[in-house]
Amino acid sequence: MSTLNALITLVVFPGGLAILLTGMIYEWVDRKLVARLQNRMGPRWYQPLADTVKLLAKEEVLPNGVHAQMFYALPVIALAGALTATLYVPVFGLRPAYSFNGDLIVTVYLLSVLTLCMGLAGANTLNRYALIGATRTLTQLFSYEAPFLLALLGPALVAGSWQIGEIADYAERHWLILTQPVGFLVAIIGLMGKLELPPFDAPEAETEIVAGALTEYSGRGLALFRLGKGVELVIGLTLVAAFYLGGVANPLLFFAKTLLLLAGMAAMQTLLTRLRIDQTVGLWWRYGALLVLAQYLAVIVWQGVMA
Amino acid sequence: MEFNKTWQDMLEQLKTWARVNSPWAIHFNSGSCNGCDIEILATLTPRYDMERFGLKLQGSPRHADVLICTGPVTRQARDRLIRIYEQMPDPKFVIAVGSCALSGGAFQGCYNILGGIDQVLPVDVYVPGCPPRPEAIIDGVVKLLEQLKAGYQPAARRSGVLRPVPVPVTDAG
Ligand code: SF4
Repeated sequence: MSTLNALITLVVFPGGLAILLTGMIYEWVDRKLVARLQNRMGPRWYQPLADTVKLLAKEEVLPNGVHAQMFYALPVIALAGALTATLYVPVFGLRPAYSFNGDLIVTVYLLSVLTLCMGLAGANTLNRYALIGATRTLTQLFSYEAPFLLALLGPALVAGSWQIGEIADYAERHWLILTQPVGFLVAIIGLMGKLELPPFDAPEAETEIVAGALTEYSGRGLALFRLGKGVELVIGLTLVAAFYLGGVANPLLFFAKTLLLLAGMAAMQTLLTRLRIDQTVGLWWRYGALLVLAQYLAVIVWQGVMA
Repeated sequence: MEFNKTWQDMLEQLKTWARVNSPWAIHFNSGSCNGCDIEILATLTPRYDMERFGLKLQGSPRHADVLICTGPVTRQARDRLIRIYEQMPDPKFVIAVGSCALSGGAFQGCYNILGGIDQVLPVDVYVPGCPPRPEAIIDGVVKLLEQLKAGYQPAARRSGVLRPVPVPVTDAG
């Protein structure tokens, strides 16, 4: 019986199909909102699904000069990493499927697997654009990763636990967006950097470097990477909503909260223009990381005073 | 056996549905005067918004399904055009936009021109006009999608692979 349960958790809910579909829904909401903000009609509701099925049904070209096994394996590893991370987060505002002390760190690093795989995928081809894209992807990874992690560790600090479930429980009683607004901002902007949304889309700037690290990917590989991105979007929004916006609640309310975050992200995407990669790095290390550290200090001092 | 057949049919239908609803395009100018290119870009702007049909402009030919070509094929652009076409994964479609892309148009007979796109690539849809209005381009795309729905196969598949094109030898002087 427990095997069956585990299988369902992994394949159907919340690990596999459910999260893929949710990722597509979020992607559609994001695209539709951006379109409406640009005064367009925007895509139809089944657009991401059609894109994915089409890509899966297309030919996958193996370019000259790549390491074939790696070329085929990287998208699978990327998606697997993202899907594994879903098991530890409270998706849809439900209890995480699995939980242990320190799973916050594991989840954040599982999310980075996707970016890492994209970097490797770009470096694996002979295409120069893909190579530049890979360099930018990895540079960006080093710039937003630390502030993003720090922003997620802020709630962990006040909750006194590194277990996502316990932090979410604590957050249910305290709306951390009120006590740690800087952390919230850095987390949400870090999420945009992670997903390479504008203004942090220098790694896949189609006006400069074709399509970045994934230039040579077609068909199945591209579809898997895109699905991975969708999953990452869901997990990121879930984490931020659970930590800063009042923890896990009933699924409907939780969904509304994540949609609110998504709307904010869509507005920022439309408003801001693309940053150069050096500007991105500068922004994160000069302001993002320092601000979060300052907030850390404030939290620690406050805790010391209260104790 | 029966079950297998229906299963296959359903899969085929799903594939066609996805293809019709998500044509990603790449745009290539093989020697146009830029008039047609501006119209294509206008088609992608919020006013006409091709994302309604799921059409997205892609940077990489590896991600694209539809090659939107403008202009006559110049001798210099010929190899690049063919290379871009060959970089696209199957199934792929070609839309020729503008009178020049159809026949050479205003440039017909020039020493450096091979003629329309169909001299080099198998074309699926022709959109006439000099330059065609965005509405005409949208109409062309929608025609292609409707044909696809009706079970149309890409021109490349019907005519075998690329037709070898003899470059007409004319005296350049
Ligand atoms: S059809 Fe007209 S607008 Fe288009 S490339 Fe030819 S001359 Fe220019």
